[in-house]
Amino acid sequence: MNHLDEMTCLLYLERQLDRTRAQEVSAHTQDCAACRTLMRALERESRLLTRAMLEEEEPLPARLAEFQERAKRSLQWIWGVAFGLAATGAYALYTGYIEPWQQQLEQAGFGGTNMLSLLVFQGAFWKGWQSMITLLEVIALLTLAGFGAALFRRRMRRGSALALVLAGFCTVLALPQGVSASEFRKGHSVEVREGETIKGDIFLFGDRVRIEGTVDGDVYAFSQDVNVNGHVTGDVISFAHTLRIGGKVDGNIRVALNTLTVTGSVSKNALIFADYANLDSSGNIGGSITAFAESLNVDGKLGRDILIYSKHLGVSGTVGGGIQAKGSTMSIGATGEVDGPVRFEGENVPDVSSGAKLASPVQYTKWEHKSEYRSSHYYIWRVIWTAALILFGLVLFMLLPKFGRETISAAEQFGAPMGLGVLVFFGVPIAAVIACITVVGIPLGILALGIWFLALCCAELVVGAVVGTWILGRGSSSWEIVGRMALGFVLVRIGFTLLAQVHVLRSLGALGIWMWGMGAVSLALYRRFQPVIAPGMPSSPPLPPNTTVGGVQPA
Amino acid sequence: MSAPVKIEPTEAITRAKAGDGEAWSELYGEYAPAIFRFCRRALPTREDAEDATTEIFMKLRDKLVQYDQSRSFSAWLYKVAANHCWDTLRRRKIRQDKETEDVDSVPLEHPDANQLDKLIEQRTSEEVRKALDKLGGRARMALVMRYYSDMSYDEIADELGVRRAFVGVVLLRARHELRQALERTSALAAGGAS
Repeated sequence: MNHLDEMTCLLYLERQLDRTRAQEVSAHTQDCAACRTLMRALERESRLLTRAMLEEEEPLPARLAEFQERAKRSLQWIWGVAFGLAATGAYALYTGYIEPWQQQLEQAGFGGTNMLSLLVFQGAFWKGWQSMITLLEVIALLTLAGFGAALFRRRMRRGSALALVLAGFCTVLALPQGVSASEFRKGHSVEVREGETIKGDIFLFGDRVRIEGTVDGDVYAFSQDVNVNGHVTGDVISFAHTLRIGGKVDGNIRVALNTLTVTGSVSKNALIFADYANLDSSGNIGGSITAFAESLNVDGKLGRDILIYSKHLGVSGTVGGGIQAKGSTMSIGATGEVDGPVRFEGENVPDVSSGAKLASPVQYTKWEHKSEYRSSHYYIWRVIWTAALILFGLVLFMLLPKFGRETISAAEQFGAPMGLGVLVFFGVPIAAVIACITVVGIPLGILALGIWFLALCCAELVVGAVVGTWILGRGSSSWEIVGRMALGFVLVRIGFTLLAQVHVLRSLGALGIWMWGMGAVSLALYRRFQPVIAPGMPSSPPLPPNTTVGGVQPA
Repeated sequence: MSAPVKIEPTEAITRAKAGDGEAWSELYGEYAPAIFRFCRRALPTREDAEDATTEIFMKLRDKLVQYDQSRSFSAWLYKVAANHCWDTLRRRKIRQDKETEDVDSVPLEHPDANQLDKLIEQRTSEEVRKALDKLGGRARMALVMRYYSDMSYDEIADELGVRRAFVGVVLLRARHELRQALERTSALAAGGAS
């Protein structure tokens, strides 16, 4: 008798033989003990295999078992910690930096309501790059650590990256501040007398401030009337009604005031926010002037360029560089001399005296007051850009379909992406600049800025996809999602175009869309690096496989 | 072996499809241990299995919208898991070069049933699992798909990228490899004992 081969026996046991062949095999095994034994042995082997595989010889690893538990907790925990730390950071920032300044300004009679002025004129902002370098390095390192944590996410606990960065940030803010050698003077009339020398920075608060002596550091003056007739080796930073510089300043001047008059010398640059600013014929500024002013007159000598946004610019002195001006009027007198190119963009033709010495003729661009919304070109370009961005979105979605879905899903939550969007929109550029400043982080800073910009470009598309989903319901295939994105995007653009007629709404609308969209992209990225699977504890489940062997016997 | 009756968590699946996190919790808790064991059998190391389990559930979250609820969820889940594990193994090119679809090379013989019976009888589940670890990627994958998750020959053919007719050959070769591994283990044990 011919015995069955092993393959036939296996296929018979697994019910993979056709009916006729199966009947033949069955009949054969009735008569053939050897084949029957082989069949039984194979069946026992199958059972042994199944049993060996199904046996729960090891429990679910702690990493997986705790994963969901952590995921559930961490979804609440991580945001709790993140917001808690952010709040702590903000509080530390306020109490450590802003509040002391606010108090000092209030004592000086300026009140503390203008946060912008507080930020702009607080010491660390201007003078602090040298002294802040340590802080910046720490922040850059923390940023690097955050990226590192993201890269090694598999070995890290969920959310630890964010918590680590924020905790580090808070620690840095909580560190005791360095001892300051600054001197403070306050009163109705405060003065650095002639012959007196101040070593270090000085902060002067009063109705009248006079500096007749020497300050070997920076001067911070908050007053109605400030006179600097002495010698300042550092910068002059002033918030005043009137400032006159008749002495010598070796550093820069940075001022916000009503009237500035420079009759002395400033070795470096001037940043001016003023109604009226005048570089007197006897005055000298070695560097450049950057000004936002009602009127600026340059009758003295300026070493380098002028960049100005003003109603009027008058030049009767010497400008060592070029002029870039925007405003209503510009005049260059007969004694005026400009060694670089002069570009003026304004309402009126610049008045240039025939006696003026210019390196090249003035390049004048007349301002058009026509609203862009009345221009047909505006709408044509809106349509072109809409189409281009839809194409961009299509390509992105086709390249990264899974990430696209994750981003849209994240955007649908609204609250979390908006919160994160605010953080990312403002935080990333600052962090990127900080990283770049510290040199070591230049590639990181550029990369972060690049990703930020890409997310900004995608923001409107993401919001469009969500709006499309609201209207047409959830799509399952890629093309359905792309269709919803295109529809929603067009509607968002139309809505935004209507909204943009009112400038405030335009800004608010744009910010809202950017933050929402960027937040969604960031949230999706975050989840990609720190995957959230599902909350809840795993149970010890029964295993679902059905049988040990055998499929469906073909008919 | 009788088949354990499994009630499909249809409600949880529906809710999870709608994005309900708690429903995901239920599904994960229900199926993660089984999927981990599947990966543990199919992949070389425990770390691989842990990573794969995480990644499979990540995939699942994206793919759930594609799941047709008229089909068995666990079968679909195993298909996703098998696909992922086989991709992982293929990327590592584990013993792919040895495999051919040459049906003629399959031994059409009648082995000694008593010897086979004896070999099986003396083996524990643990020994079988250790022997499984020594198999090539495709052999192990085929055995796991068939005897762990009860996938059909069509599904196995689809996953491994072979003709359906060749699935039996792959399984039989895998069994032969397994027997050889078991014999080697016992020979080593005998050598160590003497």
